[in-house]
Amino acid sequence: MKARSPALQVLLGVAPILLTLVAATAILLVAGANPLAAFGQIISGAFESPRKLADVAMAMVPLLLCAAGMLVTFAAGLWNIGVEGQVVAGALATTWVALRLNAPAAVLLPLTVLAGMAGGALWGLLIGLIRTKGKVNEIFAGLGLNYVSMALTNYLIFGPWKPPDGATMSGTDPFPRAAWMPVIGTSRASLPAILLAVAGIVVIWWLLRDSQWGLRLKAVGQNENAAYRLGIRTSREIVLAFMVCGMLAGLAGSLQTTAVYRRLIPSISGGYGYMAQLVVLLSGLRAQAVPLVVLFFAAIQVGSPRLELRMYLDSSLGGVLQAGTVLFFLLVRGLRQRLSKE
Amino acid sequence: MRIEFRNLDKCYGSVRANDKISLTLQSGTIQGLLGENGAGKTTLMKILSGYTRADGGEVLLDGTAVTFASPAQAIAHGIGMLHQDPMDVPALSVLDNFMLGAGRGLAQQRKRSAAQLTELSRQFGFALDPDATAGSLSVGERQQLELVRLLALGVQVVVLDEPTTGISEPQKLLLFAALRKLAEQGLTVIFVSHKLAEVEALCSRAVVLRTGRVVGEVQAPFSSDQLVMMMFGQCFSRGGRPAAPLGDEVLQLDDIAVHTHQLSVEHISLGVRAGEVIGLAGLEGSGQRLLMQACAGIRRVGSGRITLAGQDMTHEPYHRYLQERVAFVPAARLEEGMIAGLQIREHVALAKGNGHLFVRWDEAEAGARRLIDEFRVVGQPTTRVQELSGGNQQRTLLGLLPEHLRLLLLEHPTRGLDVESSRWIWQRLLARRADGTAILFTSTDLDELVDHSDRIVVFSGGAMSRPVSAADVTCEQLGYLIGGRHA
Amino acid sequence: MKRTTLFVLIVALLVLGSVVTACKPAASTEEFVFGVVLVGPYNDHGYSEAHYQGAKYAETKIPGARMVYLDKLNSADRPGTTLEQVVEEMVAEGAKLIITTSDDFGADTDVVAAKYPDLPFVHMSGDNVLTGEAPDNVANFFSKMEYTKAIAGCAAALATETGEVGYLGPLINDETRRLASSAYLGCRECWETYRGGDPEDLRFVVNWIGFWFNIPGVTLDPTVVANDLFNSGVDVLMSGIDTTEAIVVAGQRMDKGEKVWAIPYDYEGACEIKPEVCLGTPYFNWGPVYVEIINKVLDDKFEHEFVWHDPYWKDLSDEDKSYVGFKYGPALTEDQQKDLEDYIDKLADGKTKFFVGPLNLQDGTAYLADGEKATDEQIWYLPQLLEGMEGASQ
Ligand SMILES: Nc1ncnc2c1ncn2[C@@H]1O[C@H](COP(=O)(O)OP(=O)(O)OP(=O)(O)O)[C@@H](O)[C@H]1O
Ligand SMILES: [Mg+2]
Repeated sequence: MKARSPALQVLLGVAPILLTLVAATAILLVAGANPLAAFGQIISGAFESPRKLADVAMAMVPLLLCAAGMLVTFAAGLWNIGVEGQVVAGALATTWVALRLNAPAAVLLPLTVLAGMAGGALWGLLIGLIRTKGKVNEIFAGLGLNYVSMALTNYLIFGPWKPPDGATMSGTDPFPRAAWMPVIGTSRASLPAILLAVAGIVVIWWLLRDSQWGLRLKAVGQNENAAYRLGIRTSREIVLAFMVCGMLAGLAGSLQTTAVYRRLIPSISGGYGYMAQLVVLLSGLRAQAVPLVVLFFAAIQVGSPRLELRMYLDSSLGGVLQAGTVLFFLLVRGLRQRLSKE
Repeated sequence: MRIEFRNLDKCYGSVRANDKISLTLQSGTIQGLLGENGAGKTTLMKILSGYTRADGGEVLLDGTAVTFASPAQAIAHGIGMLHQDPMDVPALSVLDNFMLGAGRGLAQQRKRSAAQLTELSRQFGFALDPDATAGSLSVGERQQLELVRLLALGVQVVVLDEPTTGISEPQKLLLFAALRKLAEQGLTVIFVSHKLAEVEALCSRAVVLRTGRVVGEVQAPFSSDQLVMMMFGQCFSRGGRPAAPLGDEVLQLDDIAVHTHQLSVEHISLGVRAGEVIGLAGLEGSGQRLLMQACAGIRRVGSGRITLAGQDMTHEPYHRYLQERVAFVPAARLEEGMIAGLQIREHVALAKGNGHLFVRWDEAEAGARRLIDEFRVVGQPTTRVQELSGGNQQRTLLGLLPEHLRLLLLEHPTRGLDVESSRWIWQRLLARRADGTAILFTSTDLDELVDHSDRIVVFSGGAMSRPVSAADVTCEQLGYLIGGRHA
Repeated sequence: MKRTTLFVLIVALLVLGSVVTACKPAASTEEFVFGVVLVGPYNDHGYSEAHYQGAKYAETKIPGARMVYLDKLNSADRPGTTLEQVVEEMVAEGAKLIITTSDDFGADTDVVAAKYPDLPFVHMSGDNVLTGEAPDNVANFFSKMEYTKAIAGCAAALATETGEVGYLGPLINDETRRLASSAYLGCRECWETYRGGDPEDLRFVVNWIGFWFNIPGVTLDPTVVANDLFNSGVDVLMSGIDTTEAIVVAGQRMDKGEKVWAIPYDYEGACEIKPEVCLGTPYFNWGPVYVEIINKVLDDKFEHEFVWHDPYWKDLSDEDKSYVGFKYGPALTEDQQKDLEDYIDKLADGKTKFFVGPLNLQDGTAYLADGEKATDEQIWYLPQLLEGMEGASQ
């Protein structure tokens, strides 16, 4: 085949956008909505004011952290389905600190963060050990532990941590003020949370690109057997990868409790672990692309309530849109890869 | 079927793997395709058999131009290829593999396929057990399976890419007989190799490639010197092997036993001295591989003792062996030796850069360049290893070995290398003896064993012979030993 | 390449957005916008849909009233979206009243209301006004479903052949305890009065799933719990949850030839799912409540108050007047319906014992002395299930 013409290149470049837009439009038309107006609602609902931007930034925090963690496990060739559970573990550890320790904010807040990271890392360690020592596929280990973490949350919310006037699904009592991550002005944006998330993704990007550790992970991911022969202690690297991922996911869970909900709620992880899988896949396992993909997801999350309020659209449409977009994006990308291979 | 290539071009990045290749191959013959490592042989054959597409030029079959989007299409046009690495599905049975790609698979057909498999095997004298899994076969048997599979699909052209690397002498003879039979039946056989003796024995015509270009076509009978001239642009004489003084005992094996569900290796006792080279001969799967793995700490020994420079290492883990400066170069390059997907410089960084938090990319780059220069690898520091030609992968792997080894274990060290390269690689390996490195290597090439070993042990069905001095043994004697008889 | 793609995508969306928002229609002046926040899907054939229909009813009754709503506000469906964000969005839409419709929104409603001191909030099914936790701009409205639950319990007693009645409970709190107990009281009363049975022979078992509706992995699966109840010998299953598993499972079992019945909950039309097994539905008729609340706000009479409405006894099914209703199901025989009507009359006149002593709590401690009538507060804060009921109290 001849080298492709520039026109074709460009066409293939914009095809995912066009197709996803077409697909979304079709979905909206079927739902009886004006697609232009619908897109507009999402955009304005997400970006129209600094307040909205702050919301988007906060919505990005857990996704960025989970995706950063997952970049690590993906680099090592691991499907860490257990991120969900790691988020929860971080949230649980944080809640324990927030509810049980009596300390001023300056002491308590760093402790909640550390506890969250430790909790997530512990959860990662479990998955790692089950995978390396128990020789159980990490997908099953992760899924199993996800359920354990959910059961544990419910037990704690309905048991030891229930509010004095009875347990409800709305979670524990709010944390003491000292365990609230400070927010900027009257917005909901918490600067420490945002900074931690940014730091998370930047550090991981850097480590994966330039550290020996990152290179070892990549080797393990590409060929565990050969990496072992080259002298890499693959089991240790795998466990470590799970722990680092867990640390970041745990931090996400921690910040969801201290900066968003201000208490522990039953489904604190909210599916971020699974969404992060999509984010990482969409960004082609590249850290640089993650923030943009995350922005996209966060914008839909923040913008879609407005879409539903204004246009009286069925709320499942937001999910359909999101899923449809992802699907088309992957589809077109796969197609492009096939074409460019030849 | 007559095959014509016209102005075929293929580039990988800046590498011109095929450069305006024009060729005509007649049917009913065995055609040799020769060339040094990286000459573009595999690439040309992959284009013919639909695994890649050319950038320019065309392929004509009996005068009509064709392009194949997939191997399946090529097979439909009667062209099948046996790869340098077996491409079967290891977990499936021989029969299932045989039926793959046939596009049918009902119970009725299964019986018919089984009959066909038996018939074809009988015709060529292959002993293939339809119910064994492909993974349990030796390389030679997997090749036989692949060959009969392609024949069952009705191919008219059979391409074999370095088919004799890694198979035993009897298997080789069986294969050659089969190929001759096929040529008699009117099929076109294309035989890719850099072993002159094989080409001389088998082919009626040979084409030589160099840096992607056709540099010559010759008819049988060939003159070796002429072929070598065309392949390398120079002539070699087989140099003698400089002797090296032996040092203290490095490796001591006391009554080692290794068991797998297929084979038990027992009662192995051997002492190896610094600077000594020991060749492990034997049919593939006779136990030499197990012993190598045991000596590298990769496989647990059932009983016995392994002593390394005076230390008991019997049940130590692999990384302890690495610390004791033992290195192992496995036969399956891309499965166990290197990491497909990683670049040469990344391999260098992994192999050399331990202890630092960050990768020194400049150092890794420089190291990779040094490796490329020194080991004459056709590639760049950023080339991913799976993009290297077979021979270049082997060079890279050898180039990655640490300096100052105590014990070097090599499986088929020159598999896939052309004559020039093998000679040169052995030079480098033997130079390590001065450093006190002891070498254990396996090979199916008797000349290689005799030429480079101090002592040779022969494996047969899990038993190891007493070591014989390489200086006192002939290839014929070795052949008997390998066959399980005493000379 | 991919990065640029994304970038272009975002820019494209931004451009589109600005084009569209530029031509947004202005809200008309006489309009009264009110926001309704639902915990489940608006079309769940249960609790959330009842609210949604109530709000729709109010739209038809009050000229200019327009609802904006957001459903599925729970962290499983909308991770990261808080009530505060939603209220902000509704206010931006011009909402002059916010109605939060789930028990779970209680704490958040108070917090958000404190941030909008001039905006009236109504939290349904909470009691933070009673306890004094709610800020001044919050009111609680609720209706006495207890009565219609008792009627439903009576229907169960009239129909059961095994003498075993199951109750599919959501999570355990004051509200759910008193509703399950009300059902039990009605059931026991009718079992004795109309079936001539001994209360000792009546089995009334409550199984809690953990939430108002199924959240996979978090709650027990209501379908499984419903089947377990039937397997244990129950032949009438009452639903206390927001969704329709009880009647669905009963329908499946009837199709397999079993003699079973179900009593759904919350939503007037719930029987339609499987009329043949349906004995009736106690339901909230939120319409009049929404009308009342909106009128109060319009007339500037909105107060910081706790309102607990009685049914409209003259006609439980009067959609304009009765705050709770009971709809007879097709599976009820004529005789059974007569008995049930008789029971309803007695309830209305207070001639039957409903939350009248002697009554003990589940653990045997005395709750009401002989002849003592429970106060609203005693019923609202019922601490345990009642003696004679099976199932967890805490
Ligand atoms: N997939 C690929 N990507 C990039 N470069 C490639 C790829 N395949 C082959 N090459 C390059 O093309 C050249 C020719 O390779 P080819 O595999 O055809 O050589 P060969 O003659 O078969 O050599 P050998 O005897 O070592 O197997 C080599 O320089 C090789 O590095
Ligand atoms: Mg080759």
